Amino acid sequence: MIDITVPEDLWDTEDEGVIFSWVYADGALVQQGRLVAELTVEKAQLELNAPASGRLTILAPAETVVRKGTVIGRIDPV
Amino acid sequence: MAQQAPSTGGSARTLTMARAGREAVIAEMRKDPNIFVIGEDVAKLGGVFGTTVGMAEEFGAHRVIDTPISETGFIGIATGAAMAGMRPIVEIAFVDFIGVCFNAIFNFAAKTHYMSGGQFKVPMTMMIGYGGGYNDAAQHSQCLIGTLAHVPGIRIVTPADAHDAKGLMHSCLRDDNLTIWMVHKAIWGLGWLGTAIKTAMATVPEEEYTIPFGKARIWREGTDVTLVGYGITVHHALQAAEKLAADGVSAEVLDLRTIVPMDREAIMKSVTKTGRVVVADEDYMNCGVTAEVLATIAERNPRVLKAPAVRVANPDIPVPFSRPMENFALPDADKIVAAAKATLKS
Repeated sequence: MIDITVPEDLWDTEDEGVIFSWVYADGALVQQGRLVAELTVEKAQLELNAPASGRLTILAPAETVVRKGTVIGRIDPV
Repeated sequence: MAQQAPSTGGSARTLTMARAGREAVIAEMRKDPNIFVIGEDVAKLGGVFGTTVGMAEEFGAHRVIDTPISETGFIGIATGAAMAGMRPIVEIAFVDFIGVCFNAIFNFAAKTHYMSGGQFKVPMTMMIGYGGGYNDAAQHSQCLIGTLAHVPGIRIVTPADAHDAKGLMHSCLRDDNLTIWMVHKAIWGLGWLGTAIKTAMATVPEEEYTIPFGKARIWREGTDVTLVGYGITVHHALQAAEKLAADGVSAEVLDLRTIVPMDREAIMKSVTKTGRVVVADEDYMNCGVTAEVLATIAERNPRVLKAPAVRVANPDIPVPFSRPMENFALPDADKIVAAAKATLKS
C-alpha cells in the first residue's frame, strides 16, 4: 500500500489548497506517473501524479481542503 | 505529460474540459510539425486557463509563442502563416477583446479561401474563452458568439463537456479553414472559478476521435418541451429539466454543440416531437443565436409549435459587475423553468 501524499514542494507557500478533481473513480486501476488528481492553490492549478501502479482508494474527495503532507489517497498494488 | 503510458488498465478517466482540449492539441502537435500555438501567456504561464501547460517545454519556443498584448498583430501573423501552409492555433483568453482582430478574422482568415477561388486555405484554429457569471464585469464576461456566427467562412464549436471538448478540438485542428473552439469559462474547469460543474467533466477516451461539425447532441430525452442550449446553458437546462420533472413536466435537452454549422434537422426533430421550445443563451438576445434557432422553426414549419417560443438570454445590456445584477441578467435554471412553464400554459 502506497500513500498518495500532497508533496511538500508542490507549492512554495504554507497556504491551504483544495482538491479540484480526481481523474479516476475510487477503486479504479491507475498507472504510476499518470495524473490522478488536480489541486488548486491560490488560483493556480497543480497536478498530482500516481506514485505507484495499482488500485486507487480516494481518502479525500474533491473539494476537500488539504495542506502539504496531507495523505489524500492510497494505491494498493494488484 | 509527454511520457504518459497509453494504458490505464481499462479504468475510465474523468477530465475537465481544459485538460481534454489540451490533450487533443498535444496529440495533433506531435503528429504535425506545422502546428504552432501563439497568444498571450501561452508559453511561460501555460495559458490563462491552463490550456497550454507543459507545451512550451515539450515543443519549444518556436512552436509555443508568447506575444505582447497585441491581438491585432498576432492574429494577423497567424492568418498569414496559415495562408503560407502552417496550421496555427491562436489563443484569445477573453473573447471580449476580439474586436481589434476583426479585420484579420473577417476579411482574411474567413474569406481568403473563397476569394482565391480555393487556391489558398487558412487552416487556423482559435481557442477562445467566453462568458460571465463570476463578477468580472462587462468587458470580461461577454459571449459574442452571435457576432462571430454572423460572418460566413467561420466554423464555430461550443463544447459543453470534456468529451466534446476533445473531439471537437481534433475536428477543428484537422479542418483546412478557420475554426473557432469556444468554451465558457465557468465550465472549462478552472480552479480559480471554484470547483468544476460536475456535468461538464466527462469520461474521455485515451484514443483520438473527432465529432462532426453540425451535429447536435440530445443530453436528455423528453416529450413536453425542448430546451435548446449550448455551452453553459446546457447545464442550466439539465438542472431545469430535473426541476421540471419534479413537477411532472418531461423536458428534452438539446445541445447545439456547433453554432456554425447549426444542426437544424435536430432542432426540428425535437420540436416536432415536443411542440414547445425554450432557447437559452448567455449571449445578447438581439439578432443572436436564440433568434437563429427560432428562425429555423419559423422557416421550416412553425405549425409544429403548440405555444409561442420563449428565449432566455442576456436582455441586451452590458453584463453587470454586481452579483445580484449579474444574476438577474444572465440565464439560469430557474429562468428556464419559468420559460418552460410559460410555454405549457397555452
